[in-house]
Amino acid sequence: MYTCKDSINLLMDYLDGEMTPEDAQHLKEHLQGCAPCVDFLRTYRATPGLCKRALAKSMPQELSSKLTEFLRSKIKSAS
Amino acid sequence: MPQEVATPEEDRQQEDQRLLALAQAGDMSAFEALVEAHRDKVFGLALRMTRSEADAAEIAQDTFLAAYQHLKEFRGDAAFGSWVHRIAANHALMRLRHRRVVQAAEDELKGPEFTERGSLADYPERDWSRDAEGKALDAELGLAIQQATDRLPEGYREVFLLKDVEGLSYEQISELTGDSVPAIKSRLHRARLALREAIDQFYNQGSARV
Repeated sequence: MYTCKDSINLLMDYLDGEMTPEDAQHLKEHLQGCAPCVDFLRTYRATPGLCKRALAKSMPQELSSKLTEFLRSKIKSAS
Repeated sequence: MPQEVATPEEDRQQEDQRLLALAQAGDMSAFEALVEAHRDKVFGLALRMTRSEADAAEIAQDTFLAAYQHLKEFRGDAAFGSWVHRIAANHALMRLRHRRVVQAAEDELKGPEFTERGSLADYPERDWSRDAEGKALDAELGLAIQQATDRLPEGYREVFLLKDVEGLSYEQISELTGDSVPAIKSRLHRARLALREAIDQFYNQGSARV
């Protein structure tokens, strides 16, 4: 019988769809009897999306203008 | 019969293809339109990786200049956006390799704790995964995530950013960093566990305050 630790170590392979059938069966059995690990799985799965939203950045207008100027000057001098 | 509607992503790729053909034929305004469409993603990647606005601005410059210089060699078998994204990731990693910063130790990576028998020592108090869907992100949570990401040891932070935020494949990350796919996966898992822990703490402190 897999423990919580064994199951949590498998979560990435599970989400990537890369588990062996044997591991998949053990994980399924563990999750059926362990509500905390089901919550853990849900929150583990939600983590990357939340982080992606929290870390979104746009280029400030001033730097965008500088980028355009830089590229124009470099490309002009090369041609 | 329902008509198939192109997704914004597909629309973007079609527009990129059109602009790319014009830019390859020497139309500078078409190249500038490509830059405008992708600069936020490139700058965002560079800023998240280097944590320096000045470095990120220079990486964006280097990335688009390199893209322009190799424009005619680009055959369009990948999306233009993915191509410049990989160029930017490469420039950002090179810059990080030249930086010698004090690294957080690996054992500072927090993850779940287990009992001797391998059971979770602390049960999650609540399942916040549904709170995370579809609504505006709480500013304090955003800050907590940024701080937790900053605390990750460099190799873990890079892998997490490249895979989960920038959407590169394990193979692409392996090509860029020179690390093996199993090593990348192992670091990614530990980084996700540490970040999950930080978000969990945020939600649990939040509920304790109420």
